[in-house]
Amino acid sequence: MRELPELTPDELGRYEWQLTVRDFGEEGQRRLKNATVLVSRIGGVGGTAALQLAAAGVGRLILAHAGDVRLNDLNRQLLMTTDGIGWPRVESAMRRLRELNPHVEIETMNENISEANVAELVRRCDVVVSAAPLFNERLLMNREAVWQRKPLVDSAMYELEGRLTTVIPGRSPCLSCLYPEPPPNWKREFPVFSAVSSTIGSLAAMEVVKLIAGLGEPLAGRLLTFDLRDMSFRKVPIARQSDCAICGSL
Amino acid sequence: MKLRVQYMAQLRTVIGQAEEFIELSDGSRLSDVLIQLAARHSVARSHLLTDTGQPRPSLLIIINEAAVSARDAATTELRSNDVVTLLPPIAGG
Repeated sequence: MRELPELTPDELGRYEWQLTVRDFGEEGQRRLKNATVLVSRIGGVGGTAALQLAAAGVGRLILAHAGDVRLNDLNRQLLMTTDGIGWPRVESAMRRLRELNPHVEIETMNENISEANVAELVRRCDVVVSAAPLFNERLLMNREAVWQRKPLVDSAMYELEGRLTTVIPGRSPCLSCLYPEPPPNWKREFPVFSAVSSTIGSLAAMEVVKLIAGLGEPLAGRLLTFDLRDMSFRKVPIARQSDCAICGSL
Repeated sequence: MKLRVQYMAQLRTVIGQAEEFIELSDGSRLSDVLIQLAARHSVARSHLLTDTGQPRPSLLIIINEAAVSARDAATTELRSNDVVTLLPPIAGG
């Protein structure tokens, strides 16, 4: 196990208000500083997760998202800026995150998750945040995280609803236990308010902080669903599937 | 027996309502509910059933406060006043 890095006086000052969180403290902060988190797509959900993780002081973020900022990204993609329209999303994101917290190392990749890059990206991280708008990317990321035994936080939304679960390979159900087939009806364009995507992104970031710092109880084996139309939140147990093609043999 | 069915996400959009109550004969299984709903709401059929009429494996189902796999729908017996929540897969990111 890597030795935890010390915190500089500037970091101790920056994180002062979270160092008093019960069961977190300086050791939790040093664990965050020591960690690398991969975020797959930095749109409304993943971008907010990255923002929260940068604020919290994760040591290194790897951000993967292809394409340039478009006008209709700006209702929800909080790392993008109006003057960044037409420029790569990852550049806009890196600029925003560095402005927020220069202590965080940011690595960007102007690509989405694919068979060509997923193994190497997962190998270099400690935790994955999965927030792509397509199931083939999510299922691919899930497969690789399970194979490499890396925890994965799957965060998804639609309209005013959100869903979150944490995959601990071999211990809790993986995404393929829930979705054994690529869902045929899902469309890439979905209705979204930033307040909803940001909510699920923030919840995902909290899961990551908990996993890294050993704080609280992660959502492994449980699915959190919420519907902001009536502000209802529920948490239901979910089970591993023994015949799961991805994690059934673990 | 009477059941309360709640629709989430795209199912709510295509069916156009958040919930409804349905009547089924005693001893009905979860698969019977999905078949009846697919017949009643043809626009939602592909969310509920596969092309061969089997429960859609990627449909998440909660009965009261317990998740039930669609693969177990044919053996999951329901009781009067159960609340069945149907959650189609979502991946908004």
